[in-house]
Amino acid sequence: MAKILGGIGTSHVPTIGGAYDRNKRNDPDWAPLFRGYEPVKAWLAQRKPDVLVFFYNDHATTFFFDHYPTFALGVGAEYAIADEGLGPRAVPPLKGHAGLARHMADSLVNDEFDISVFQDLPIDHGVHSPLTMFWPPSPDWPGKIVPIEINVLQHPIPTPARCWKLGQAVRRAVLSYPEDLKVVIVGTGGLSHQMNGERAGFNNEKWDRKFLDLIARDPRKLVAMRHADYIRLGGTEGAEEIMWLAMRGALSPRARKIHENYYLPMTTAMAVALFEEPMQKVSASGKGGARTSAKMSS
Amino acid sequence: MNPQLKGVEQLEGTYLFDLASSAKALRLNRFLHGFTVPANRALFKETPEAAFDKAGLTAEERRMVRELDWAALMRYGASFFCLEKLGRVKSVSNPEMVAGFRGESLEEFLKTRNVPGAR
Repeated sequence: MAKILGGIGTSHVPTIGGAYDRNKRNDPDWAPLFRGYEPVKAWLAQRKPDVLVFFYNDHATTFFFDHYPTFALGVGAEYAIADEGLGPRAVPPLKGHAGLARHMADSLVNDEFDISVFQDLPIDHGVHSPLTMFWPPSPDWPGKIVPIEINVLQHPIPTPARCWKLGQAVRRAVLSYPEDLKVVIVGTGGLSHQMNGERAGFNNEKWDRKFLDLIARDPRKLVAMRHADYIRLGGTEGAEEIMWLAMRGALSPRARKIHENYYLPMTTAMAVALFEEPMQKVSASGKGGARTSAKMSS
Repeated sequence: MNPQLKGVEQLEGTYLFDLASSAKALRLNRFLHGFTVPANRALFKETPEAAFDKAGLTAEERRMVRELDWAALMRYGASFFCLEKLGRVKSVSNPEMVAGFRGESLEEFLKTRNVPGAR
């Protein structure tokens, strides 16, 4: 059976991918960002997940307002890198796990989450801006993804509570997949920033730090908040933090935050947090681990 | 009224992109979204008026795009994420657009940032 190793919350501002593409690793302005992703990269290299399930938002790139999906699950085997106005980034197309994704569609719909699906569409920086920092292609991506798009652009956007429940339903979907897959859940977006009006450039480090604490220790407090609270505390685009709630909802209550980094150089607070599920004991023979883990996590 | 958003109207300098703004600026946002296609970018760079004609933009919409009047575009109902594509085509960075929203020069805006070089 598939199992969930842990989760990652991360900002997805395009300059993260830009810093990677321009190799700013040793630039003092960017080094703190690169350093912050190193433990995440090392953890993934050690735990070797097969699939990363991404809660992310599109930026009016793949989708347009003639039909903007509230939730959309990618069920394809490959996703091109989207052209956002400058031509696509020079990284390979993303590889999708169509088998897991189709199973998730079945599971979600039977769980009364009537999700829409997409395939054969390009994906923008909402997924791959941070991805290169912790799962770099060398030369190809180390594994596959399942993308789940969440509308945070055009209000009404889904409530924090609904995103949390989506995360829980995704957990049930992943854990009921019969193949022995190792899965990590990723939520991208935030933290505080606002990209419109005279209030543009708004940040709130105090709130960001509190969010990073609550998402680990007491996520229900965040789930109970309204969008107006998120916007007041973290700016209009701070509402992207609902993708972190979906990620956290897909983890067990026993998941532990084992790393975090916070860097606020310009307009968007760039944060990353790594969550780990309790390690599952492998039997003496080294076999039967999957069965044990399925039991433990159900 | 969306109960999730009650209170947001009290925040100054904040333009929430909702179904009303989306409907009002649909033609303009569609034009901006079109910059994800290289042929549309090429047409706009070579003959902007032809690109405006093709998209059926009004005189006011054309003026705002031609002059990169970021603050007016935002007030009009443009989505930031569509404007971002115009920014890329015109080689205008996000900090410069944000400065425009705030009614500041880029230099003034950068003075308010922790790491002005991180662009």
